Amino acid sequence: MSSDTSPPVEKIFFREAIARAAREEMRKTPEIIILGQDVGYFGGSYREFDGLFEEFGATRVRDTPVAEASMVGFGVGAAAAGLRPLVCITYMDFLMLGFDPLINYGAKLRFKTGGQLTAPVIVKTTAGAKGQGVAHSQCIEAWLMGVPGLKVVAPATPADAYGLLKAAFRETGPVVYVDHKRLFPIAGPVPLAETIVPIGKAAVRRAGTDLTITSHSFMVRTALEAAKMLEGEGIDAEVIDLRSLAPLDMATISESVRKTGAILTLEEGQVTAGVGAEVVSRVMETIGAVPFSRIGALPAPVSSNPILEAACLPSTGRVVQAAMALQRKKARGVNHVVAETIE
Amino acid sequence: MIYKISVPPVAEVEEIRVLEWQGAVGHRFNAGDLVVELETHKAIVEVRAAQPGYLRQILSAAGEWQEIGLPLAILSDEVDESLPDSSETLSDLAVEFSIT
Repeated sequence: MSSDTSPPVEKIFFREAIARAAREEMRKTPEIIILGQDVGYFGGSYREFDGLFEEFGATRVRDTPVAEASMVGFGVGAAAAGLRPLVCITYMDFLMLGFDPLINYGAKLRFKTGGQLTAPVIVKTTAGAKGQGVAHSQCIEAWLMGVPGLKVVAPATPADAYGLLKAAFRETGPVVYVDHKRLFPIAGPVPLAETIVPIGKAAVRRAGTDLTITSHSFMVRTALEAAKMLEGEGIDAEVIDLRSLAPLDMATISESVRKTGAILTLEEGQVTAGVGAEVVSRVMETIGAVPFSRIGALPAPVSSNPILEAACLPSTGRVVQAAMALQRKKARGVNHVVAETIE
Repeated sequence: MIYKISVPPVAEVEEIRVLEWQGAVGHRFNAGDLVVELETHKAIVEVRAAQPGYLRQILSAAGEWQEIGLPLAILSDEVDESLPDSSETLSDLAVEFSIT
């Protein structure tokens, strides 16, 4: 017997983790259907539904026209009528067309009907820049964080892609599940045993003592690269993968910042009213003022020109520079005023 | 001469999974023969020998993972050339690869 108690894992591609979660849940729950462009015979735009059409057929794995408002509307309606649809919106930019059914109907249905109806629908969508220009690159997950009744998750690893999707299939209300184009080439370990990653629980990816870096989705990798480079500067960064944006795991984040005394938020979306703005505000409401820094894309559309795209997006170098500036600020005590703590 | 065969530089990919070897150890490949099929997140990469040789040792079996540029197998011109302990110093066998 090995003394290693960690559960056995298999190494699989990010897309395979998604397919495995969907396959396991579909076998158990006949109400689950998948709707989207190319989800059927083609197996999904990123082949993340490979094999499901063959196993479950065209009734449960349905190709749709390019009509995002109708797709989300159909999903919310079918959920209200008793199904558990997963609606796949290939580019998050076009989820904007589905905001009315998702936000005005799906997220509010349970409240509006006094609990008589619920809309257990998953909207799975792919954010992020990968050479496809202004309207196929955006990260707009922050827009959804303030919608009561809506949960928002964003995995950064195959294991979380698997575990969070499993969790989303068991929710009573709508969940927006956001992955990222640049996560699909990645492979990683996923537990062999059926495992659920609870929604609302962040993960500490790297323990550290000097500052806390929070991030989600593909940018967690940038955060970890930056943390490694900061080691050389004598800065020991703690990296938190938020995993769930709504609800936020404020217990884990606040505990970390209480320990490190500074926070840097990193996201691929816009800084203004972004994920980081919310995280920093909530930290300060909980533990008082600490030095902070927010990193995101520059306030410009994301170009399909690779040089302009890279210039717009957060980079490891920008994170390292900001972290070093933050450490200097912390050492000087700047911004270290005691705020009223709101409990 | 003894060569290694490595994971070819597929764009945007860090790591591949070996799908299938087209022959067991001792198999002779002719120039242009399919040697191994590799799997990326969205495609199959067919690796073909650009010169004849014998497959001598498989370093990454079917189902195993390997990073771009790292060795997959050792090949030799003659069937009985003795193999080195390490593949590190071997030069790469010229390959052609296509992505489908």
